[in-house]
Parts: sequence; C-alpha cells; structure tokens
Amino acid sequence: MKSEPKQAGLRDARTGSRAGLRAGLRAGLRAGLRAGLREFLLHYPAVFTLLLIILVSAVVGTINPNFWQLSTLFDMLRSSVVTGLFALGVLIVLAAGGLDVSFTAIAAFTMYAITVAVLKHAPNLSIGVIMLCGAVGGTLFGAVNGLLVHTLRAPSLIVTIGTQYVLRSLLLTFVGTALIINVPAAMESFGTLALWTYLPASGGRAILPAFVLVLVVAAGVTWWLLNRTLMGRAVFAIGGNLAVAERLGYNPRVVQVFVFAYAGLLAGIGGIVHVSSNRLANPFDLTGTELDVIAAVILGGARITGGSGTVLGTLLGVVLVTLVNNVLILAGVPSTWQKVIVGAFIILAGSMFAVRTAR
Amino acid sequence: MSFTRKAVACAVSLGLVAGAGFALAQSGGKTISTVVKITGETWFNRMEEGVKAFGVETPGVTTTQYGPPKADAALQGKIIEDLIAKKVDAITVVPMDPSALEGVLKRAMDRGIKVVTHEADNAKNTQVDIEAFDNKEFGARFNERLAKCMGESGKWTSFVGSLGSLTHVQWADGGAENAKKYPGMTLVDAKNESFNDANKAYEKAKELLRKHPDIKGFQGGSAIDVLGIGRALEEAGLQGKICVIGLGLPRDSGKFLESGAIQGIGFWDPKDAGLVMNKVAKLLLDGKEITEGMDLGVPGYNKVSVKKGPGKGIIVVGQAWIDVDKNNYKDYPF
Repeated sequence: MKSEPKQAGLRDARTGSRAGLRAGLRAGLRAGLRAGLREFLLHYPAVFTLLLIILVSAVVGTINPNFWQLSTLFDMLRSSVVTGLFALGVLIVLAAGGLDVSFTAIAAFTMYAITVAVLKHAPNLSIGVIMLCGAVGGTLFGAVNGLLVHTLRAPSLIVTIGTQYVLRSLLLTFVGTALIINVPAAMESFGTLALWTYLPASGGRAILPAFVLVLVVAAGVTWWLLNRTLMGRAVFAIGGNLAVAERLGYNPRVVQVFVFAYAGLLAGIGGIVHVSSNRLANPFDLTGTELDVIAAVILGGARITGGSGTVLGTLLGVVLVTLVNNVLILAGVPSTWQKVIVGAFIILAGSMFAVRTAR
Repeated sequence: MSFTRKAVACAVSLGLVAGAGFALAQSGGKTISTVVKITGETWFNRMEEGVKAFGVETPGVTTTQYGPPKADAALQGKIIEDLIAKKVDAITVVPMDPSALEGVLKRAMDRGIKVVTHEADNAKNTQVDIEAFDNKEFGARFNERLAKCMGESGKWTSFVGSLGSLTHVQWADGGAENAKKYPGMTLVDAKNESFNDANKAYEKAKELLRKHPDIKGFQGGSAIDVLGIGRALEEAGLQGKICVIGLGLPRDSGKFLESGAIQGIGFWDPKDAGLVMNKVAKLLLDGKEITEGMDLGVPGYNKVSVKKGPGKGIIVVGQAWIDVDKNNYKDYPF
C-alpha cells in the first residue's frame, strides 16, 4: 500500500502525451515525496513531535512576542524535569507492554515520608543520600507493582490503579497530611542551585536550575538501558509479542519486575526533585498529573499497545506537553477555556499519531 | 473465647459504660461535643484551644473535641452516631461534606440534641450555621489591602484553587468588584487555577510575569497560592517590588512574609471559630435566640448578621477575618 502512489505516478507517465507525461512526472514526484515523508515519519515519529513544538512556539510567539525570552526556555526546562523523569519510567513500562499509573503516588509517598524522616532524625543529611533513599524507596514500591502484575496475571493498569490508591491512603493515614514548609537544608540548597543565572536588561532574573542535570543523566541511562543492553532487547521483545519472546527464552517475570522497579526508581528521584525545587513538601501534590505524563509519552511516538518508543521522542513529548500547559496565559486564553484547549490539542495531536501508525 | 471469659468481658464493658454514664451524670452540667474534619492538623489543634477554653471559662459546661484520624466524611458520621448514643446535649461540627452528614444530623436533632455547624451554609439539618465572614466581603478585603500596597494603580491578577471551588471564586469576584473603585487598577488574566498545588501557582506566576512585565499585584485564592507566587517572585529577584496578598496560614507563609515576597495574608482564626460554635450551642441550650446585630462576645463576632439557611436553621455571619503581615504573624502560632 505504501508504494501505491508512486506506481500511480509511473502509470500516468507511461500513458502517452507530453503534457500527460509532465503532469505524471510531477504527480509521481509529489507522491514519491509524500510516501517518503510518511516513511520517514514512521521511522522517526519524534520528528513529528518536534514539528508540533515548533508550530506551537511559532503560533504563541506571533500572538505574544513576550514568548521569545530566555526565561521561557529556562522555565520550560525547569518544569519538564519531574514530568520527564516520570515519562521515562512510563516509556520503559509501556515498551514492555504494560501501563503504570501509580508513579505519582510512589513519588508522593517517598518524597513526603523521606522529608519527614530526614527532618526528624537526620536534618543534616546530604542531598546525595536523600536522593539515594528516594531511589531505593521508589524501586521497592515499583518492584511490588511488578511482582503483583506478574503473579496476579492482571492487567498492569488495574494493578497500578490499586497500588496508587493504597499508597495514597497509607501516606495520608500513617505519615501525615500537613504541609511541610521548612524542608531539609540540603534539599533547599539543591533546589536553588543555579547552573546558569541570566540577568535580562528588563530587570528580574532567569535561573537555569542545576537539577535539570538529573533528567539529563536519567535520560542517558534510560537510553543506554533500552538500546545497549540485553535487558533493553528483552523489554522490547516482551512488549512486542509476549508469546514469541517467551519462546525465545526471555523471562517475563524478570522483565516485568525490572521495568516497574525502574519506573519506581525514577518516580522516587522525581519526588525528591519535586520537593527540592518546590521548597515545600505537600502530600497532596502530584495527584492527577499521571495522564499528562502518559499523554507526553504517547505524543513522543510510543505506542500505547507497547513494543515501541524512544527516549528522545519521550523527551520531546514532555517538552510539548509542558509547553502547551505553560503558554496559554501568554496566548491570552481565559482561565475557563484552558483545559478545553489542552484537551483539544491532545485529541488532535493524538489522532495525527494514530493516522501515522495506521498501516 | 471461653464462656467465662466472655462473661467477664461483658461485665467489664458494662461497668465501663455505666461508669461513664455516672461520670456524665455527676458533672450535672451540659456536654457540648465538637466534631472536626481531621484530628491532629494544626488548624484543628488551634480550634481545640478555643473549644477547651470555652469549657474552662463557662461553669456547668463540659466541652470536648473529636475528629477522625483522616479526612473522611463517613468516619465523621460514625463519630456523630457515637455522640448521639452517648446522649450529649449539643453537637457542633465542621463537616467534611455537609450533604454526607444530613441524615445523622437529622437523627441528632430528632433526639433533642442541639446542632451547630461551621463552614456549611448549604447544610439543611442544622439549627445554626456559623460563617466567619461573607465571602465577597472577604475577597474585597484582600483587594483593598492589595490596592493600598499597589498605590491604587497598576495591573493585577487573581488566583483560585480551582474554578470549581465556590468560595475561591467568590473571593476573586469580590476582589474584582472592589478594584472597580480605583480607575488606575487593571485586572488582567483573572482567576488563574493553581489546583491547590504550589508548583502550579509558581509556574502560572512566572508566565504572568512574562506576559505582563509591569504587573504590580497578585491576589491569592487557595492557601497555597501565595507560597507559589512568593517563590516565583523571589527567584525572579522581584520580592518587595510586586504586591502579593491572599489567603494563607501564618506558619506556612512566615518565611515569605519575612523576605518581602508576600506582603500580607488573611484568614480566620479557628480558635475563635471553636469558641463561637460552643457559645452558640450554649445559647441554644439556654433556650435563647440569635438575633441580627447580636454580640457573641468573641472577636469578629461582635455584630453578627443573621439570615435564613436552606433548611429550618439560620446562618450567622461574622466579620472574623484577621489581617496579618510581617509584623504580627508570630502572634498566630498555627
């Protein structure tokens, strides 16, 4: 089906008259280009995401030139970090054919419990150790998810909806409900550490926070895992076709526990970054951001049915979703209409991806 | 469990119940029980101070505060059931979800127990609902302080927790109404939703600063809004140059009040709310009526207005807001 337009063009070219030949050639060329472009987008869906980012930027920048500022870029990067960490976790679970919606609950639990524990028992703990605690806590919760999914043989969406509720309840019942405004000193200074400070002539200042490096490192590690290790190959194999993968000797138990544990690890780190950048710990935070994150991964070219997805695409998807969520005031959309616009945008972009993947 | 053990257990628990009843009867006076949304939270700990204070300073009245360990309307209902069984004389309650308590509160009233509610002006089964203030007036109050801070001119905007939280929207509208008095003040991009998330408030504040580099004021809605806006201003190095006024709690906002990123916060004191709920319950027990302009003897409730509620009861509205800034936030330790 893919090569059909090209053939049609050639057929035209074969049918006699000179004008017909020229028209045929032109049509053939155009059709060929179109087919080539489609082929190209099929192989590199991230390009499409990038085009959407450029389009949104151009539209908003035309409506309001105030968009073109370094501070816009810095703020987008800043708000992409936590979403990005979550999205990388969702990507790897999705690639293995599962779906995780419990990561925000894992993040909220680990960030709040660790903040409370550090304040009470070791207020001078360094950020490295705190981050490690977050990673370990998140990994444990994630591994439980993975074990449940494997042993119950239940859809991972259902299992993680369950664990999400359980974790949130446990957090609010046993750990606490109060807002913590004075977070440990190490977290506060990590959150305010600047990679680069820019002082625009117009006054004020724009800061590129150092914690964006956390996402850079996480993205690098995730890329390496997916593309350069045996585990990465197993993840895509199991996500592509479980029965075939099992016959090839991949162990679904190991892979499932691994992907959920890894998503938990990233969620735990994301939680710590959230508290550090926010400089307060609120156990009610992060609720309801799951769908934004999943949308970002899908808009980054991963398939909801599993077996595909790239780190670069996911990062672009995160930038796209963050962008759309943070330019509506600039574009002059009234508060009551903002969710409508975000929703419509996701439907539009999502359906374009659906057209792209329909073969 | 063997029969004898069971019998002993029964006897012991019967004894306990009898003892408790005896203790209640012994005190001779009236018991007023206050039920809050959640136990152990700073807000309701502060309320308990008021509840206890009323019991101590009023002879012949025993006051106690109860609350579920987590914010859950069903658990709150259970506690009220227990109180009905214990035959307390009056129940005052801050409902999680007024509609979820209608049934149990009706049962209490049918048994002759006096019922007073707080922050539930849509509750039908209550004799008196107490509101700390009129929401539009509260919003206007924020805006008046914002106007003073901005020198009555310049661009300003408002935040709400969400467009679905009625009170927040009323505060924002009350503010906008008030700002019309000052021709120099321009409201831009009103009612930004923070979704009760400080980070969302932060991101929106940053975007607003980009769109309106000359903005002069922010009016916060949810108690968390001022924290996010304050952090945005601090990071942009604009603290003290832009006015931020909104709902907030002294302990949470103190850091930003000190740094000048927030100019002022407003709230109502849960201690006074606890006091006044019990005071009204006592008036009901004494068979007295609450009338327009009455002085309830609690700060902010010296000249209350009375209107009809959605049920048979009345709604009593005070002017119990408290304006707090850098200089006096330490007086309110909650």
